[in-house]
Amino acid sequence: MDCALDIFFLEAVLNGVLLAGLLALLALGLNLVFGVIDVVWICYAELVMVGMYAIFYFYKMVGLPIPLAMLLGVLIVALAGIILHVVVIRPVLDTPPINQLLVTGGVLFFLQAAATMAFGIDFRNIGVQFGSVSFADMYFSWNRIITFVVALVIMFCLWLFLRRTFIGTAIRAVSQDRHVMPLMGVDTRQVYLVTSAIGGGLAGLAASLMVLQFDIYPQIGLQFGPLVFMICVLGGLGNMVGGFIAAFIIAQFITIGGSCFATEWGYAIAFLFFMVMIFLRPRGLFGGKA
Amino acid sequence: MLKPTAGALALGLAAALAASAPAAAQQKEFKVGVIYDLTGAYAAGGSQAAAIGTQIAIDMINERGGVEGYKIVAINADAQSKTEVAINEAERLLNDEKVDMLMGFFSSAHCVPVAAKVDAAKKFMWMNVCVASAVLKDKNLKYAFRGQVHSDQFGEASCKFVAEIAQSKLGKDVKDVRVAIVHEDGPYGAGVAKGNKETCSALGLNIVHEEGYAATATDLSALITKLRRARPDVILHTGYNPDITLFLRQAKEAGLKWKALIGHGAGWAQIDKLRETFGKDVDYLFNVDPVAAQLLDPKTLAPGLGEVIQEMVKRYKEQTGVNEVPTHASQGFNQSWYFFTDVLPRAIKKYGGTDPEALRQAALDTDIPEGGTVQGYGVKFNPPGHPMAGQNARSFPVVMQYIGGETKIAWPNSIKTIDPVIPLPAGHTYAP
Repeated sequence: MDCALDIFFLEAVLNGVLLAGLLALLALGLNLVFGVIDVVWICYAELVMVGMYAIFYFYKMVGLPIPLAMLLGVLIVALAGIILHVVVIRPVLDTPPINQLLVTGGVLFFLQAAATMAFGIDFRNIGVQFGSVSFADMYFSWNRIITFVVALVIMFCLWLFLRRTFIGTAIRAVSQDRHVMPLMGVDTRQVYLVTSAIGGGLAGLAASLMVLQFDIYPQIGLQFGPLVFMICVLGGLGNMVGGFIAAFIIAQFITIGGSCFATEWGYAIAFLFFMVMIFLRPRGLFGGKA
Repeated sequence: MLKPTAGALALGLAAALAASAPAAAQQKEFKVGVIYDLTGAYAAGGSQAAAIGTQIAIDMINERGGVEGYKIVAINADAQSKTEVAINEAERLLNDEKVDMLMGFFSSAHCVPVAAKVDAAKKFMWMNVCVASAVLKDKNLKYAFRGQVHSDQFGEASCKFVAEIAQSKLGKDVKDVRVAIVHEDGPYGAGVAKGNKETCSALGLNIVHEEGYAATATDLSALITKLRRARPDVILHTGYNPDITLFLRQAKEAGLKWKALIGHGAGWAQIDKLRETFGKDVDYLFNVDPVAAQLLDPKTLAPGLGEVIQEMVKRYKEQTGVNEVPTHASQGFNQSWYFFTDVLPRAIKKYGGTDPEALRQAALDTDIPEGGTVQGYGVKFNPPGHPMAGQNARSFPVVMQYIGGETKIAWPNSIKTIDPVIPLPAGHTYAP
């Protein structure tokens, strides 16, 4: 164990905070969809992968400017979210949860295979790096700082949208009782479509930030999917605020655990904490939908 | 329109081979189940290159009329970078396709369970790429053979190299050279790291940090922070992808510096791909691996092997369009080539057939001197009862250095083609 409280330890803690920004953003879309539609998109991380490939395609192969490529990436994954809902989710909306898990699991493998066929097995990257900022012998990646700030801004914007707009209010109402709201005149089909588009758009936004930090390959979803799902469950599946806080907790376990012990211990401790908390609070740290 | 990928080329090769099979119905067939990772994380890490190397060897053998009247028929399978798929495909090929033997295998994580299962079933297995010593060590397998270098040797080579250049290049006594050992924590990475630790300790190098991590880790910042704290002169790294690119990217962002970074095969062997991502930042990296055949002086090899290498390189470049033919292509080609030109003919002629027992006896009789294979090393398998039964006792790795997009041999001194550049030149991204 090497847990000296020096400048390197402080750097690890702060890097954990920055990592949490990315994880929180990833958890946000998944939680929104579950909170409203009551379906877990197991293939959520694969939608992120689709967004990363889309950005790679428009930036590196078509030659569009990176902001435009990212915007197209967000729009494409938002559209993918709508298609996913209409084609896959809607037919199984009233079936047992296991059916919903299986069909979205099928989409996961379909998207991985489709990406392999379209782009091959090579690791791709867009080659854009913003470097890092250094002070007091600590280094922090600009990519991560940007991701962290964007995650905070998006969280706030989503909160405003859900609180201050008519459709946002409808989404919150449906999330509280999706069976009663149609009786009160709410078009749940439209609400579900808007929610799926926002969920997909958030996946696209995460993809825009991840292409700056990670290589793109068909299985990248497997790298992040389990971790993001764990964060959502820990925060209370469907609870966006809970997911946000859980991301910070898990990120600190990963970085401080990794800093004091070995990198793998960081993940092991995070998952151990998760298991203990699920025993103690089966509905997550902050309960269900919020 | 997207360019055809190397994966598509590999699948195309498989399809072409399958389509051509009926035309050769008059000829006896020797069916080889070839298992590599054609998709998933290992594919781009070198597995696909090895698969293409093996397919080139089979094509060239068949174009020469096959082996003792047998046409070689490859039945390709994709392990998808998943151990359970590798096991299932091995069983399918042996039990349903009734292949005469299994060949290939990139990942040590696949080799460990598959070799044990195949041996228990008394079928024949020929491993082309996977390196973990744990595949064969103290297992006393009788039907599983590996001509490839094993991971203990990888670990030894880099430490011996560092010890040899400590004074001349680093200006330090061996005991003062600070070494960090970093590795993915599968059988491959752990095996190489174990060899690193044992040899570096025995040589008196100062190991300041050792750590493993999952190749699928989402964040290596804590590891890199610890490396900055430990201030190693030399980092010995073993990994696949995407962990190598994540490590290099986060190391750059976090200001981690080193005098030399020595990789050990797998992802480090894919210099063309690393260069696409990192440009000149990957100049002066070292890699320990069996040598890429085209780097050897053909005069040091047995007569005719120089032409064989030329043809292999020509075909590989035509199929993939790359500049640097990776060592994995040589590994996939080399093991296949001497199996079909040395072992299989002996099995047929001396032991009367192609059953596992004949193949096993023929493999144990193999006695190829140094210079007798396209990768320079000889072949003599350890017999049953040996702690590394089935392992080639004559294989050895070399230390290579990437300079300006080209691969040079830096060690051992007897075959080196450059004076290694250590420490990193001033101005290099990772130079202290």
